[in-house]
Amino acid sequence: MQYEFEEILETIRMTEIEHFDIRTVTMGISLRDCSDRNIKVTCQKIYDKIIRYGRNHVKYAKEIESHYGISIANKRVSVTPISIPFDSCKEEEFIEIAHTLDRAAEDIGIDYIAGYSALVQKGMTNGEAELINSIPQALASTKRVCSSVNVASTKTGINIDAVKMMADVIKKTAELTKENDSIGCAKLVVFANAVEDNPFVAGAFHGVSEPEVVLNVGISGPGVVLDAIREAGHVDLQQLAEVIKKTIFKITRAGELIGRKVAKKNGIPFGIVDISLAPTPAEGDSIGDILKAMGLEDVGAPGTTAALAMLNDAVKKAGLMASSSVGGLSGAFIPVSEDMGMIRAVQNGNLTLEKLEAMTAVCSVGLDMIAIPGDTPVETIAGIIADESAIGVINDKTTAVRIIPAFGKDVGDFVNYGGLLGKAPIMEVKKLSSAGFINRGGRIPAPMRSLTN
Amino acid sequence: MKITEDVIRKITLETIEELGLGATKDEIKNAVRSKIETMNIDNIDLEKKNMDSGKVILTSFGLNKPGIVAAVTRALAENSCDILDLSQKIMGDFFTMIMIIDITASPKDLNEILKDMQKVADDLKIKIYLQHEDVFRFMHRI
Repeated sequence: MQYEFEEILETIRMTEIEHFDIRTVTMGISLRDCSDRNIKVTCQKIYDKIIRYGRNHVKYAKEIESHYGISIANKRVSVTPISIPFDSCKEEEFIEIAHTLDRAAEDIGIDYIAGYSALVQKGMTNGEAELINSIPQALASTKRVCSSVNVASTKTGINIDAVKMMADVIKKTAELTKENDSIGCAKLVVFANAVEDNPFVAGAFHGVSEPEVVLNVGISGPGVVLDAIREAGHVDLQQLAEVIKKTIFKITRAGELIGRKVAKKNGIPFGIVDISLAPTPAEGDSIGDILKAMGLEDVGAPGTTAALAMLNDAVKKAGLMASSSVGGLSGAFIPVSEDMGMIRAVQNGNLTLEKLEAMTAVCSVGLDMIAIPGDTPVETIAGIIADESAIGVINDKTTAVRIIPAFGKDVGDFVNYGGLLGKAPIMEVKKLSSAGFINRGGRIPAPMRSLTN
Repeated sequence: MKITEDVIRKITLETIEELGLGATKDEIKNAVRSKIETMNIDNIDLEKKNMDSGKVILTSFGLNKPGIVAAVTRALAENSCDILDLSQKIMGDFFTMIMIIDITASPKDLNEILKDMQKVADDLKIKIYLQHEDVFRFMHRI
């Protein structure tokens, strides 16, 4: 037979038992030609363009799903950072654009549309300031719109004014969406070194150097890696790296195949495969469980950062071999609320915010889906964002903060969103004040790139 | 293949050369148009050749009992699916069967065949999976 019995069974096992799926196929659409002096015309142009390119996105993805027997968890759309083409808009007009995006997303049948974004790592235009100020209202009054703001980069340093502004936006968003456990904050990401071709919502946007329209794919598969590690038994770390690489290689190949087929069906160019290991709240589909299977008693034990670094590196090496189109964030995600293993570690008191921060230094993509007490001061949130940005800026990598100061809740409580966003225990935050540092304002200068110790 | 501006420009230059300098604008236009049209037909043929091989891998598992192979192959035959390869193993009370089938001659597409096979699987209380061969080629062959 052309294929070995075992090869075929392995594929079936991956897709049927180990939650192997394509995490997302995300269509990036440029909105740079949609600007008009009249906001009504602008909104109509945006709506028409998203419908024109995206109307068959879900249908085609579903056809490919059944054709190959591999499920695609999410079908999504990202657009040009809204602040760029519509820089002349005022706050209310930006909110109107958010509503248009929401309506377009609903009409093409997707759950999230991302790109309500601004890139302000060095400074901000009037339009960008208006957009940032509109975020709380925009997220509170829409269901599907996701927002991200880039506040730092290795080339420019960290814009602390923007960091503080975003901390304030996060607090306001939490309050405006308090009825739903401050869910607005789950749709808001603060980035350092944001990438232009990231297919993973909420942080996705269609960068300015991207083509008119493009299809990017994010793979998944922590469950597959977990089972492979368990099956490998007690082997040394080099052999373990080999096991991880072999598994990721296969997953990435399947991801590229699916991405190319969906792109071809839509008649648009294929962009990149993002080889991030993205967990889901499903049992076994967890990065936390992988770290435990590697031999740690729980996530947070000394050695966690090393294990994660090795996992992340093996994922990248295998992904790069498997596909020539690797891009996006490409690493292991460690969102707390979306990963049962991580949730348990936090609940048991084994995983703290500080350890999580250390872990983000060796993997993508930062402090993700972390719930903290609702009364955390703005300056403290700004301090957390600044710390995370510093890790990204100095290490030349993407980092992000998606943090939820859950309104009216405290340590011991939960926020619960259900579905893919999962649930998160409120984590403790140090009570020490960061106000003096943050309130200085200004920009932390760009770092030097040699003598890197 | 998309026809880009460059391709059109090239065809136009060729046509002008062929027709000579005496040709009128309309003559050139018509000649270029007919050339592009024939090119399109070529393209479609090419696309068809490049299309998926039509090979599908069928995997089935379940408690062993008489008549499983008969039922599965009968359903495939009714859908004009050609069995290219077949391999079967019994492990304890369980059987596993893997087939490579060609569905190009079938009047139905993969989804419809999948639905028919699902009925067979439900009747026999076994599991049947159908996946396009490309997945296996991409995952297990470099």
